[in-house]
Amino acid sequence: MTTTDLPSPGDLPEIAVDPAAFRHLADAQVAVELDTGDMVLNIGPQHPATHGTLRLVVRLDGERVVSADPVIGYMHRGYEKLTEFRTYPQITTLINRIDWLSSFANEVPFIAAAEHLMGIEAPPRAQYLRTILTELSRIATFVLFLGEMGLQVGAITPAFYGFRDREYVLNLIEAVTGGRFHPNFNRIGGIKDDLPWGWISECKSVMQKVLASCDEFDDLVVGNPIFQKRTRSIGIIPQELGAAYGVSGSNLRASGVDWDLRRDGPDYLVYNDLDWKVWTHPDGDSFSRYWVRLQETRESARMVLQMLEQLPSGPLMAKVPRIIKVPEGEVFVNTENPLGEMGYYVISKGATGPFRTKIRSASFSNVSLLPWLLRGVYVPDIVTILASLYFILGDIDR
Amino acid sequence: MGLVSSGKAPKPLQHLLNYSRKYSLWMLQWGLACCAIEMGAALAGPRYDVMRLGVIPFPASPRQADLIVISGTVTDKMAPAIKRLYEQMPDPKYVISMGSCANCGGPYWDSYSVTKGVDQIIPVDVYVPGCPPRPEAFIQGIVLLQQRIMSEDPAERWRGVTREPIVVG
Amino acid sequence: MVETPTETPAEPPAEVPADPKTELREQAADALARLQAELGDAIVEHGAAYGDVVVRVDREAWRITAQVCKQKLDCDYLSFIAGIDWMPTPAVTEDGSGDTSTPAQPKEQTYGVAGSEGRYQLFAVVMSTRRKSWRVILKTDLPDDDLHVESWVPVYAGADWHEREAWEMYGFVFDGHPSLRHLYLPSEFEGHPLRKDYPLLAREVKPWPGLVDVEPMPGEAADDEAAPALDGGETA
Repeated sequence: MTTTDLPSPGDLPEIAVDPAAFRHLADAQVAVELDTGDMVLNIGPQHPATHGTLRLVVRLDGERVVSADPVIGYMHRGYEKLTEFRTYPQITTLINRIDWLSSFANEVPFIAAAEHLMGIEAPPRAQYLRTILTELSRIATFVLFLGEMGLQVGAITPAFYGFRDREYVLNLIEAVTGGRFHPNFNRIGGIKDDLPWGWISECKSVMQKVLASCDEFDDLVVGNPIFQKRTRSIGIIPQELGAAYGVSGSNLRASGVDWDLRRDGPDYLVYNDLDWKVWTHPDGDSFSRYWVRLQETRESARMVLQMLEQLPSGPLMAKVPRIIKVPEGEVFVNTENPLGEMGYYVISKGATGPFRTKIRSASFSNVSLLPWLLRGVYVPDIVTILASLYFILGDIDR
Repeated sequence: MGLVSSGKAPKPLQHLLNYSRKYSLWMLQWGLACCAIEMGAALAGPRYDVMRLGVIPFPASPRQADLIVISGTVTDKMAPAIKRLYEQMPDPKYVISMGSCANCGGPYWDSYSVTKGVDQIIPVDVYVPGCPPRPEAFIQGIVLLQQRIMSEDPAERWRGVTREPIVVG
Repeated sequence: MVETPTETPAEPPAEVPADPKTELREQAADALARLQAELGDAIVEHGAAYGDVVVRVDREAWRITAQVCKQKLDCDYLSFIAGIDWMPTPAVTEDGSGDTSTPAQPKEQTYGVAGSEGRYQLFAVVMSTRRKSWRVILKTDLPDDDLHVESWVPVYAGADWHEREAWEMYGFVFDGHPSLRHLYLPSEFEGHPLRKDYPLLAREVKPWPGLVDVEPMPGEAADDEAAPALDGGETA
């Protein structure tokens, strides 16, 4: 073979090369290496990000969620059946443990339902003490959230702050009720005991501490660019959809719905006597849920300070028969609990215990939105969204 | 571990083993209900700080854990998962049952969905009563467990010797 | 609709006079008037529960009612859907043994506000997030032999889990629900726990712990002077 047979390079005809064809080949190779198909990821039932025993079965395409199915019931204790086998004072003990972070707030609507049916009204001082303790348990719940949420997006320090502040508030609750967690302090017709000596000044100083640490959270977490990047425009709940799902409380207010049962529901406790504000945020994302809860913690602390100033004196119990028999009737009482709307539909047939109690708990409805909310988000955002919705498993499963 | 599991380890070695096991209890948290928050306060709360006792509460997997704390209500739906994770733990392993629900069903003793005590599924070493127990009570349970570990013959777990469970309080 | 032959017709509590608690709140009366205008004959009965309006509608009109509530009554928020079983609580203590601590309920089958035609009833609460104390309690009867009712999921998306719960607890079947499956209980669980005839076995094999070494239950003790309420049942 001689080299002269070959045409010189300059003589070759120009070949039109379509670069798209090669790109296609390159793409195909990349896709083969990265193609994951759908993968089913099982989060829980025991996972730190789920605050207990929520189980999420998530179908993933790469890093994106295709569909999410929450599996609940790992904490189902059969409350509604058990209430049919208990007397009213015994049920108070039981319902403490529905939302275990704010036990006192759980008692309020149930006791109010029984009081409505019996035609009893608690004296003003008892109402004030109830309101104070409800707001304290709201603070105890929210400061834990404010810390916990930081933990879930990777900041560990706020969690210690949260636990620290929670201990302050739990000390206050314990000093009055004798229980850190489950006070069981409400009685039908009033409240068990009065405040201990020196409690009011102690409470005032703790509220100042809470307000100061809210400022700290404001600087440390809300103002943190990493936190904002992780939470802004993540997990947006539209107003109408949230309402149709029964999402309530701060989660709905963070979507711009100006609705708080303390102000907009039928009157209960003494919220009408107080000067306070309902906080909303227009965005509806995880950040706004954090922001709204932070503002509500401040608002609650201010409310407690106000109530301590105008605390009336007087008796703590109305006249109540020794054996509590609730007359026939039915009533629905719902209140604004830290996690949202908590309601009891009590049907009585004149016995010492209710015939049927429907417990409407806030987290159940809040979490029922998850399949919709998690569709299309990235895996790390699942944790952010779960943390920002802030649910308690006992409140979901009951 | 053939030497230890056969029970032929010399006494000083056993002492050393027990001593090191006692102060490096890797603890799998099984937080279920209200007690989980009190457990969390004991672990993460600056006031209680359980790590000073040598308890390391964050193993990545049950396969690294020496101790499992069942804190809260065990339901029939959850029971198989608990049993499965317990079986994954390497011997010697210890169980603390925290709170009335895990001990005996607690306030839900008559419910249709609650297991009446975690000891129906797995053997329990320490019962911490209370509803929920205070963090101090939980820490007391850990201290008592550590005392037992110290006095234990490391081989008895392999021989299937079971001891009376400890009850705090 | 099949009626249980043994039942006594319920007294409509709405007609009991001179009780401030059976009066409707202003907003509730307004809501009732609007519902009556929209639904007409589909409303079987209505009553009041401490200010709130309770409306019992025909089973066929269950979903239409939801649509009317959502679109015409401004009730954009679903609080809950749940079932009731009006069967009297079976007495465990007929022979004087067993469980004596359960509060004794009346032996005859009576119905609550707005009545019922039979044993099973479905009820729901819807509210408005835009108006103050604006809420409606809705009820409908399900005949014993045909526990079917139209699903609310197309109207209120949140009805999904509530209906799964009612299906699990009572065995109500919601036509048009995307996936009726177990919500709380393991999938091999049998029975419907919230039905009154579902026994709590633990209570039958084990006496109430509070009864072991204790004085009589408050229900049996003589009425003392009016004193602050005590947790009589919890002595143990």
